[in-house]
Amino acid sequence: MGTTDGHAGFRLPSIHAAHAFFTEQPNPTTQSVFTDNWTRLILSYARHRRLFVIRVEDAEVAGGDWDEILRNERINRRVLPSYLNSLISAMVSRNLAYYEPPKQTRSVILLWRLPEEWADVLHSWGTATGQLNTILTLYEITDPPVPSPLSGIPLSLLRRTITILTRSGRAQLIGVADGEGVRLLTGGK
Amino acid sequence: MHRLGGVGLAAFDRQRESQRSFAELSTELSKTQIDHLHVQLTQFRSALTHFASNHRDSIRRDPTFRHAFQQMCSSIGVDPLAGPRRGGWWAEMLGMGDWQYELGVQIVDVCVSTRERNGGVIELGELVRMVSKLRGVENGVVTEEDVVRSIKTLQPLGAGYEVIDVGNGKKMVRSVVKELDEDQATVLAEAQMEGGRVVEETLVTRAGWTRERARAALENMLLRDGLCWLDAQDEQHGKAYWVPSAMRWDE
Repeated sequence: MGTTDGHAGFRLPSIHAAHAFFTEQPNPTTQSVFTDNWTRLILSYARHRRLFVIRVEDAEVAGGDWDEILRNERINRRVLPSYLNSLISAMVSRNLAYYEPPKQTRSVILLWRLPEEWADVLHSWGTATGQLNTILTLYEITDPPVPSPLSGIPLSLLRRTITILTRSGRAQLIGVADGEGVRLLTGGK
Repeated sequence: MHRLGGVGLAAFDRQRESQRSFAELSTELSKTQIDHLHVQLTQFRSALTHFASNHRDSIRRDPTFRHAFQQMCSSIGVDPLAGPRRGGWWAEMLGMGDWQYELGVQIVDVCVSTRERNGGVIELGELVRMVSKLRGVENGVVTEEDVVRSIKTLQPLGAGYEVIDVGNGKKMVRSVVKELDEDQATVLAEAQMEGGRVVEETLVTRAGWTRERARAALENMLLRDGLCWLDAQDEQHGKAYWVPSAMRWDE
């Protein structure tokens, strides 16, 4: 079994062509190997396509962003919702995802970059675009006129990111007329 | 016709008489022989005791001497560890048994603590090095020969400790029961033919097993040994087992 080129040059790992990869394993040692592989696959695909969210629902209905990963038509296998649910919870327990909205377990934000890494990305972007010391609304960051590395970042993840920057004195959270704003500061780490 | 003891009734008496004396003589002879053997055995025993008390320390400390001693034992057909009693008289006399068992415990220690990293197979030289380190002795004090002999004493424990010759003069020590039983070998052979996939049905029709035997073999490989994977979406049977070592991977 070999690797297949999928969405815009994404290379699926060869284990994705193994029938059993789509079944939750009763042997815990085997399952932990599978969980590692699934986690890596989900995060790298998410990064490749800039997907921030995965839902149990993605395994229930076809036609979503995740079909290429959660299904393999060639061997007629798919990840069942219950399996995706347990993979998601394994990722949450490893701090590679968090439930959003909170208090449910069917939808997560994927951390293909950790909040600390996003903080650096945000600060570098602010510096590179000459927007230090100006007040930016969160919307200007998530949906900038010129696409940026932060385009489309979910608000909850952006807030976590800003919190990290404020702790190190590199940003200030400010209330503005239509909600929240942030002022990026030069301050070092 | 020559008749022993002559003729007449008196001949019977005479014959009985001589038979009695022969019997007496034979008893006496055997008694002498047994006495003689007893003396010899006592001498042997005292010589051994003397040897043991004299060389006990050298045997335990000096690998060259130990090797010579083991060779002497095997050339006269004596196993220093064998005997009717625990450890054997020889072994008790020399303290050889304790030494060997002690080494065995340390071998188990090393094998178990490195299992995570090496999957239960360790190179013999590496094992000797680690056991020496554990004992706090220099290299060469414990030899490969000692370790191999100790591993043999572990065999009755049934933990699967075994020295495997992998060729090129390299020896490995296996500390997990990974030996495939006959049923597992059959499953592997079937899997090999099907690109890794095995179902109960295959084993029933092709190997002529009962369904129970097929299920038990597959479930053991799946749950106990982790030698195969479960596919719960098999189109034909609902449940198929995949043996990764029999699957074709491009990478």
